[in-house]
Amino acid sequence: METSTKKKKITVMQVIPLCGIILGAAFIYLGISKYGFWDEFKGPLPGFFPTLIAILMLSASALALFSSRKEETVSWTLDNWILPLSVIGIFLATWVIGLLLSLAIFVLVWLRKFEKCSWKTTLTVFAVVAVIVVGAFVLWLGVPFPKGIILTMLAN
Amino acid sequence: MMNNVSMLFSGFAVLFTFQNILATIFGAVLGLLVGAMPGIGSLAGVALLLPLTFKFNPTTAIIMLGALYYANMYGGAFSSILIGIPGDGPAVMTMLDGFPMATKKNRPGQALLTSNLSSFIGGIIGMIILTFMGPLLAEFGLKFGPAEMTALLLVAMTSIGWLVGENPTKGILLTAFGILLASMGMDTLSGMPRYDFGSIYLLGGVPFVPFVIGVVGFSQVIRLMGERHEETKLVVEKLSIKNSMITLHDLKRLLPPAIRSGVMGTFVGVLPGAGATTAAFMGYAVQKSFKSEEPLGTGAIEGIAACEAANNAAAAGAFAPLLALGIPGSGTGAVLLGGLMMWGLNPGPLLFTSSPEFAWGLIASLFLANLITLMISWGVIPFLVKILSVPTRLMIPIITVVCIVGSYSTSNSMYGVLIMFISGVLGFILSETGYNTAPAVLSFVLAPLLESNMRKAFIISRGSLSIFVEKPISLVFIIILVITILFPLIRLALVKFGVMKKK
Repeated sequence: METSTKKKKITVMQVIPLCGIILGAAFIYLGISKYGFWDEFKGPLPGFFPTLIAILMLSASALALFSSRKEETVSWTLDNWILPLSVIGIFLATWVIGLLLSLAIFVLVWLRKFEKCSWKTTLTVFAVVAVIVVGAFVLWLGVPFPKGIILTMLAN
Repeated sequence: MMNNVSMLFSGFAVLFTFQNILATIFGAVLGLLVGAMPGIGSLAGVALLLPLTFKFNPTTAIIMLGALYYANMYGGAFSSILIGIPGDGPAVMTMLDGFPMATKKNRPGQALLTSNLSSFIGGIIGMIILTFMGPLLAEFGLKFGPAEMTALLLVAMTSIGWLVGENPTKGILLTAFGILLASMGMDTLSGMPRYDFGSIYLLGGVPFVPFVIGVVGFSQVIRLMGERHEETKLVVEKLSIKNSMITLHDLKRLLPPAIRSGVMGTFVGVLPGAGATTAAFMGYAVQKSFKSEEPLGTGAIEGIAACEAANNAAAAGAFAPLLALGIPGSGTGAVLLGGLMMWGLNPGPLLFTSSPEFAWGLIASLFLANLITLMISWGVIPFLVKILSVPTRLMIPIITVVCIVGSYSTSNSMYGVLIMFISGVLGFILSETGYNTAPAVLSFVLAPLLESNMRKAFIISRGSLSIFVEKPISLVFIIILVITILFPLIRLALVKFGVMKKK
């Protein structure tokens, strides 16, 4: 009889409950050792409630880990991650050129280069975004958006 | 009873200011647009628009959000009828008869109007019941102490975490995750910092608005990336108000199921974890046992009326436990509750006595929103073809920008954007792997209330669990809690032994 020596790969279906177990354990440890669980006179301490919930989370994660063996894993295409990567790009660009300029460049590049939209469509969507951001957030709510290093230097 | 009516009129007096009426119209228009676009949904819609209300006073802000949530229920049916793709969960059942009525019977305008009128009737019934039930529920809630509140909150959280979604374990895991996230920052009772992991940002806890925008808004846009090349195929090229009118005979067919589902839907909406989708399913199921002129599923007016009236009535009914007990029945309710808390209002039994102008103003605004939404949804019929034709790929950068500026504006810091980004990516991964994120949002909002009540109950009882079973109200809730927990297990056993069919 041939014995299978093929190792089972850990997939995202196992990673999530494993993270739950680690997080639950960390909250239990901190709850009991650092914040306190129970005091004879004061009753429940700051660590009491999170510790109870962390025990629940740890148990649910262990159960989810156990049942995850039967679940099919999911796979993602690069397409799904382009948007989060773009937001990281906006985040980094904000320190240099400010948030509004970063967002403007994002919308233009996204529509023209990534979606291959015509200039007419690109400018129409850009105008909609500009009305929302400038009209609602800058003029109405008065949100002071970060200007970035370059604009701050120029302003000074 | 007469007192409730006079309080409702005083609510109308609060409502009828230029700003509040404008907020209602604005909320209704945005709700219709967000609801009409497939894939966004009321939860993401309310979350994304939360920052826009910062400039308003709390009453105006929640009036706008209430109108938005309410109009969303109307809008969800549009894409169901004209494209065959439901705009949100409750509109799934509308599609069964709405789409055949638009395609096979070639009556798209009439299908839309049937849906709008039924939504209006269902909503009005729901609001009338809410007017009388809300204060009654609040009066009952005054009897609640920490033990009763703890038991009730446990029922609310468990029913959503345990019953919503396919896997109860995953629901509980995310409920616990939401509570742990909410416990980061300051301890509510002692003021002691906890679980800040040495970060000055985490001392203030995880901010609610960026968290909710990420979990339900940004995660949704990431998901839309996979659908951005799908083309919208509309069943008609042109619609007009004139060609959308229904006959008197159609109206006679519409009324009985709409009234029946309106009453039933309201009570379904009151139950935590049930909500508008369950109400629509139940409305349709109940209609099956009544006579319809045409068989259901072939484009029957009765089918559209039954589910549309039920889901709008449920949306109104859900406001009763939200306002009177501070218990939201759904993820969207949780976002509304979070908004209320953000503006310093504490929904619960005392709301009707401590802030009557707010409670009654909001209820009155629902009546107005229902009427305004009916008029707008009627008037918008000729433009629906254009609205629904907006390609998803153009919506993606717009929603992304709103997510970023919205989460920045709550704290005027990139920390908000970071929280939105992390919770969005996490929300996407979780929903793709079969975890429903609604329980995390709900538990995040309710956690501080649960913790303070639970700790107070234990201080009173000196650590004894008996406090939860000694008091009759909390005992009833504990029994409901046990039944709620046992229900999926019993169902699993019944399926295993072949007594029940698998869902």
